[in-house]
Amino acid sequence: MTVTLEAPEETPARHGLLRYAAAKAGGALLSIAMVIVATFFLFRMLPGDPVRALAQGRNMTPEQLDLERARLGLDKPIPEQFVHFVTQTLRFDLGDSYEYKRPVIDLIGERIGSTLLLTGTALVMAVSLGIWQGARAGWKPGSRFDKFSTAISLVLWSVPTFWLGLLLLMVFAAGVGPIPGVFPTRGISSVDKPDGFAGVLDVAQHMALPCLTLVAVVYAQYLLVMRSSVIDEVEHDYITTARAKGLRDDDIRRKHAVPNALLPTVTLVFMRIGFVVGGAVTVEAIFSWPGLGQLFYEAIRVPDFTLMQGTFLLITVSVILMNTLADVVYHVLDPRVRSA
Amino acid sequence: MKKLLAALAAMCLLAVLPGTAAAAEPAKKVIKIGVTQSVDSMNPFLAVRLVTGSIQRMIYGFLTVPDSKTLKPSPDLAESWTTSPDGLTWTFKIRQAKWSDGQPITADDAAWTFNKMMTDDGAKAGNGPAVANFASVTASGQDLTIKLKASQASMLDNPVPIMPKHVWEKIKDISRYDGEVYPTVGSGPYIAVEHKKDQFVRLEANPDYWQGRPKVDELQVIFYDNPAASIVGLKKGDIDLIGRLNPPDFESLTGDDNIVQWNTQGRRSSYLQINHGATTSDNKPIGDGHPALKDVRVRTALHYAIDKQKLVDEVQNGLAKPADGSIIPPLYKDFFWEATGDEKVTFDLAKANKILDDAGYKKGPDGVRTMPDGSRKLQFRFSIHTDTPIEDKLAEYLTGWFKEIGITLTTKRLDSSKFTEETGTTALFDIAISGWSVNPDPEEVLGTHLCSRRPTASGQGGGTESFYCDPQYEDLYLQQQKELDRPKRAEIIKKMEERLYTDAPVIALYYPNDLEGYRKDRIASITPIPEDKGLLYGGSGYWPFYTVQAVTAGESGGKDGGSSSGVIAGIAGGVPVLAIGGFLVMRRRQGAADERE
Repeated sequence: MTVTLEAPEETPARHGLLRYAAAKAGGALLSIAMVIVATFFLFRMLPGDPVRALAQGRNMTPEQLDLERARLGLDKPIPEQFVHFVTQTLRFDLGDSYEYKRPVIDLIGERIGSTLLLTGTALVMAVSLGIWQGARAGWKPGSRFDKFSTAISLVLWSVPTFWLGLLLLMVFAAGVGPIPGVFPTRGISSVDKPDGFAGVLDVAQHMALPCLTLVAVVYAQYLLVMRSSVIDEVEHDYITTARAKGLRDDDIRRKHAVPNALLPTVTLVFMRIGFVVGGAVTVEAIFSWPGLGQLFYEAIRVPDFTLMQGTFLLITVSVILMNTLADVVYHVLDPRVRSA
Repeated sequence: MKKLLAALAAMCLLAVLPGTAAAAEPAKKVIKIGVTQSVDSMNPFLAVRLVTGSIQRMIYGFLTVPDSKTLKPSPDLAESWTTSPDGLTWTFKIRQAKWSDGQPITADDAAWTFNKMMTDDGAKAGNGPAVANFASVTASGQDLTIKLKASQASMLDNPVPIMPKHVWEKIKDISRYDGEVYPTVGSGPYIAVEHKKDQFVRLEANPDYWQGRPKVDELQVIFYDNPAASIVGLKKGDIDLIGRLNPPDFESLTGDDNIVQWNTQGRRSSYLQINHGATTSDNKPIGDGHPALKDVRVRTALHYAIDKQKLVDEVQNGLAKPADGSIIPPLYKDFFWEATGDEKVTFDLAKANKILDDAGYKKGPDGVRTMPDGSRKLQFRFSIHTDTPIEDKLAEYLTGWFKEIGITLTTKRLDSSKFTEETGTTALFDIAISGWSVNPDPEEVLGTHLCSRRPTASGQGGGTESFYCDPQYEDLYLQQQKELDRPKRAEIIKKMEERLYTDAPVIALYYPNDLEGYRKDRIASITPIPEDKGLLYGGSGYWPFYTVQAVTAGESGGKDGGSSSGVIAGIAGGVPVLAIGGFLVMRRRQGAADERE
């Protein structure tokens, strides 16, 4: 993808970029600090005593309940808990999970890989599909392709993820009538996962349905943004010029219109990358995908304060970082932002 | 872009092809158990979840294990035991057997396990209460001596797995140890060989198990985050057995010839918890319960206004037993008590109305009763969970019946942590739904209605299921603790159940059935616990999964057919993807050609 831009004057622009990036980074740090403070109080305000919740339905003596409170640091006054939380977090220590009794950072580390694999692949597929369809649809708005693809994407966009996921599971994992149940019903791999290339195939087979669900429900946004920016570009003079040069229609679209129309989509993609880390709680729950979304879901069910805090922090911080990055990248890509 | 798309399409195609693993089916006999709870910790000192407890039972030996027929405590690692006349000193003879790494099992292992829990607060998270009454534990050769602070009849239902000292004493901080070392060193019928977090645990048969090697080679405990997916998994054959089903999921298994629907009595009782004047552990009133509920006549009238059979039929789809007893379900027939004769409360709205009339709760012009002094209407809140449709249905029926006796019931839906707080600590409720899964020794569930389990005013301590504090009940509890003769102890426990039934701090509604499903083309036989109409998964001990037998390769014609049809299906499913992939590759080539033009 080459982006045609006017060549900027070298030195002042770079200087400006650094200053711009520094300002954005400062803003991001401020946001992160606020998120840390808010996280602490947000999760303290949630109803319910975590120790009582942990003890639900099991035999615990009053002494043991008090012991648990001490273990979780809940017997200390709130200000003390807060100072402890902040100093700990600044050292990248997210505390120990109440339920799993292990460092939250380890729990996250064990699961972040599978989440990135699933949501990352889905993002790439959704973006590619959305951009491709959007560009074609916008090129000839009102065409049959446009109507068809836009309608389908919008229908999928409005379908509840849980419903679509379960439906795909019922049809393609269980098999209905002539449709065979080829895909596994759960997880990231078989218990007896083979080694080497067969193992990669095994994971791919497990990933197909969750990935399809994720792509289906989100690609519409890329399609629509891409479509509308292509529609904008079509009316520009340079397209007419390109036509006048006798270029093939496909080439004009691919080499002239699409690169210019990509800008808004790029911003959108970067903003979504931030959410990749958060995973897809629903999809992970349907397909028992061992990722962060599932961990977060478990944390809420317990409720496991430190685990919720940790995953929540990770998700918000990655969204903030990616938004900042999006701002900077946009600055590089689009000269108009620089003067603004 | 198209390159990318083509690559992705190719990936999809690969994904559609069935894994080569399915083709090379090993000759091992493997049974796959589906569970809807993930393993919290493989360190038994820390783990609390049911699934983890079930796995511990397969990996480690315990002092005793419930007998597979009678559920009475029977020898496990302890082959025999004696008690001193005062009931305070117990001596267990530990079996001559070997850990799975070949080391001998001695009483020292057991003593180390208990002492660790008694001296290290970090080791109490899993089973702390089990050693709370221990004064000292010592070992000499194969003899283990436990001295108690007070007599405890439930001694033989000790839930602590005995750990190999030579492996675990090396761990410095047990409170942060994850126990993820494989193969585990244990003394049970299976050895854990692999654990993938939130995915599965793989257990292999222990060839040197003292009772003999299990009949299958491998057990896989496979986690589903979503019960609906686990049902699909069972029907498809991704798992062979799943327990703890709810009625709708259980019913959806009907009509599948390969699946056995397991429907027996369960270990749980569902009851209403009535705020009969909640107090803290220092006897100060707490919460905002309706004053009318302090009157046992009002509570009894409510009891008469509940049609338990109707609830079973409509709320539990018939898959439960109406409760004419209290908190111990009929599965435990030694301890189960059931009301008979005049004492038995049956659905009788006229009688309920009469009780309230006689007690002076007069109906107002709107048909709603008021307190005898006219101060307050009989309007109660019914606290239920937000995410359980079954409880909503229950609330509808109760509201209808209570209206007939001049009592207004409004439903209050709470998320689970708020629910636990309001019904267990702050007592901000009138009537709440509750339930308890009972162990073979019922001491634990009986203990949840003791005075000492009420929380302090600041919410410390706790563990009560009812805020109950009744001298008669307390007295009986102490008596049963001292009574080591099982039939005599059962009589005392039955009196406690009777007290709960007639005083009605809790009203038992029904005992939900144990609902499970397994594939008969994979599992040739499996023995429940107890053997007569018992549980497969989630029962006590290792019995079902020690006795489980797999269908041997020769008999499983259907299975092979299934996998080859899977291959055909895979190819059939792959064709369209292949076509799309091919199309995209072609397009890409054409595009490249265009560029060259």
